[in-house]
Amino acid sequence: MKPESPDTQLIALLDRVALADESALKELYALTSSKLYGVAVRVVTNREWAEDVLQVAYLNIWKIAGDYKQSLSPPMAWMGLVVRSRGLDFLRRRASDRADRMQELDEVISDTVAGDSPNPMDTTQASEQAWALHQCLSQLENKQREVVSLAYLRDLSHSELAQQLKLPLGTVKTWIRRGLEQLRGCMGKFA
Amino acid sequence: MNIHKNPGLMDQLAASYALGTLRGGARRRFETLARDNATLRAAALIWQSRLASVAELQPEVAPSPAVWKRIENLVNAEKQAQAMQAARSPVVPAPVSSGWWRSLGLWRGATAAGAFATVIAVVTGLNFTSQLNGQVQELSAKLSSTPAIEYVAVLADDKANASILVTFDPNSKKLMLKRVGDFREQPDKSLELWALPPGAPAKSLGVMSGDAVVQLTAADSDIRQSPALAITLEPKGGVPPGTAATGPILFKGALLKTPE
Repeated sequence: MKPESPDTQLIALLDRVALADESALKELYALTSSKLYGVAVRVVTNREWAEDVLQVAYLNIWKIAGDYKQSLSPPMAWMGLVVRSRGLDFLRRRASDRADRMQELDEVISDTVAGDSPNPMDTTQASEQAWALHQCLSQLENKQREVVSLAYLRDLSHSELAQQLKLPLGTVKTWIRRGLEQLRGCMGKFA
Repeated sequence: MNIHKNPGLMDQLAASYALGTLRGGARRRFETLARDNATLRAAALIWQSRLASVAELQPEVAPSPAVWKRIENLVNAEKQAQAMQAARSPVVPAPVSSGWWRSLGLWRGATAAGAFATVIAVVTGLNFTSQLNGQVQELSAKLSSTPAIEYVAVLADDKANASILVTFDPNSKKLMLKRVGDFREQPDKSLELWALPPGAPAKSLGVMSGDAVVQLTAADSDIRQSPALAITLEPKGGVPPGTAATGPILFKGALLKTPE
């Protein structure tokens, strides 16, 4: 890996954050907050909530940056997992507002899944692993790609996806199965 | 079906497991199998790692600049709380004020955690009484119309009921204190405001009159160096200048820099 690659830079910053270096946290935030806010928005579907999630996630990263060393993931993927986890925590805490949430989710998801826009994925700062995943996801139909992404990011079951997307359960199961099947074949080539 | 002799099925289950769509009994059976089967365990880890990159591929969206300001405030409050703990530990405080120091130490430890709640409360006005909501709106309006206000604190009692709002304007060096709870001290007592600089004794910022709004003058440096403020109940007129607090802490709260 080239010394100036984004991963190397982010790993060095995480090392400094682990030593409680605030200026490193500031640099890390400047480099990664737009990407991670994008993740938070996708998980919780509401920009205001996503800002709360982002705040909690960076404070979490500030505390546990030392754990990154034990992870074999690219730094952006590791931070993305922190954001996703804090986002899912947030959604669970809002379970009492479930009816409202579902309604909003419905609208957002219906929009995204119905959209015929070409692959909306963004490879800015993506690791090599993410690039491979991107290549493979690009080979899926838009709807399959979207359903697989949402199942993962929001930790949804087949029936939750079907309910929220207003699709027959069988259709969701088929999309997920075919999507994963194609991903398996494709990712195998990168292994 | 013997999963061990079917690598394709193993990989397929591992992918569903990592994606999260393998649920219920099937998920539990997978976990049981994976504990005994290194190949299956490895396949699950590989898929977890691959799918983690889904997060890397989401479109970028710029968050509001206020988010970083909030993070910075909380990180600073936490660091200063730790610095205070570290600076204080070798020093045995004067026994005359042991009650004060003990309770101070207790809540100092909680400052970092408490600061989070306080920021949320200041920003969104959640968990406040309706009376306080009005105050917060007023304060927010004041904040936006008076950009010179650089610091704000919500001093609350031990049940987290906000009682006094504090703002500081570094240009005029004015601290503005507003009573928002229904606490009223007895006629022979006064409320005294303290800055809590890291590694140094608490410093009196002045005594409050009984009015609903009180203005005090404070040095810029006293405020900038203090991550938190506290109010103690003292004899009428406060303690003699340069001495430590004698009464109990009634209200306390993190001092937060306002978003620029």
